[in-house]
Amino acid sequence: MKDKIRDFIAEATYTDPGIIKDDTLIFEEGIFDSMALLNLITFLESEFGVVAEDTDLQEENFGSVQRIADYLERKRALVS
Amino acid sequence: MTKPVFSKDLIKINDVQATINHIVERLKNDVTRVLRRQGAVVGISGGIDSSVTLALAVKAFGADKVLGVMLPEKDSSGDSKAFALKLANKFGIEVVEENISAALDGFACYQRRDEAVKRVIPSYNPDSDKMKIVIPEEFINSNLPPVFYLTVIFADGREQSERLPMAEYLQIVAASNFKQRSRMTMLYYHAEARHYAVIGTPNKHEVQQGFFVKYGDGGADVMPIGDLYKTQVYELAHALGVPREIIERTPTTDTYSAEQTQEEFFYQMPFEAMDLLWYAWENGYQPEEVASVMGKERLDIERIFRNFERKKRTTDYLRRPPIHNYN
Repeated sequence: MKDKIRDFIAEATYTDPGIIKDDTLIFEEGIFDSMALLNLITFLESEFGVVAEDTDLQEENFGSVQRIADYLERKRALVS
Repeated sequence: MTKPVFSKDLIKINDVQATINHIVERLKNDVTRVLRRQGAVVGISGGIDSSVTLALAVKAFGADKVLGVMLPEKDSSGDSKAFALKLANKFGIEVVEENISAALDGFACYQRRDEAVKRVIPSYNPDSDKMKIVIPEEFINSNLPPVFYLTVIFADGREQSERLPMAEYLQIVAASNFKQRSRMTMLYYHAEARHYAVIGTPNKHEVQQGFFVKYGDGGADVMPIGDLYKTQVYELAHALGVPREIIERTPTTDTYSAEQTQEEFFYQMPFEAMDLLWYAWENGYQPEEVASVMGKERLDIERIFRNFERKKRTTDYLRRPPIHNYN
């Protein structure tokens, strides 16, 4: 899952996936902009079936590859 | 040269008349000698930036060599025309009105925008309801880049806001940008018909933060206030004699059918604070020093600086001319 997320972020932001570690803070590093975030929300829905609610849009959930993966796990646990 | 200590007075213009004279001389030289044009066309909206630009153009070329063009369309605020006419009257220039609604209909501007709006809020009726794009306040204190929301104000006063998916956001913006690009086209018609130059009206924030439409309001021959902070534009407005009602108006986007301030749509903070913070960031002041002067926390200033950096970088595309040096 983390590799899929990493590859997506790399592609959406024209970044080398090698520099995106699990704990790289993608917003603080300036990798992500509004378009990339909107893209990511769409990707999570289409790839993992997870619909991000407005209240989910926080750094704790989207700040790094690890945080996104943890967020997806939490969301999936809620529906299963 | 050592940097002055950061203070709230740093960007206040010491000698407003000298600044006006400098811009006027430069504008005269750029238009007549560099561009070899005989006068100026300015799109006037009744806003502060276009009013100051027009006043500078009149000083540079004389009222008889300046044409003011009002470019309303069906979503424009009704006040804009009255303010623009007052301005034209004050500076004694010729003014023409070109309503671009029919051109926008030809481009299916409204239709393309409303299709996207209806996909997000199906009950939206463009004939009676109004719409705008907003950034919720939660994003202002966050490191997350802003996500845009669509707000529809129904005819009965109810409001509904929904987060915009990417496709719909892009379609609404792309369709709305027909407005600025149609205005640019009309300004160049009048400029070419008189052998004049088009004088652009963006201020420093609009240029540097990318709050303009590429080849729309960003399409002009010269931008004489492009290096002035918004508070400096106001300083010039007072000295140039811009009508008080225009100076006191809240700057709006005048783009969507619902009223919307520029602060609400794009800048997310008052101009006074933004001017100082942008100056501080651009000139490499330390967040600690800025925080103590602005009465904020260091972490807040660091976050604001990061947002500025992101805005500058992500809007670089807008400021770039076509890349043509392929040899």
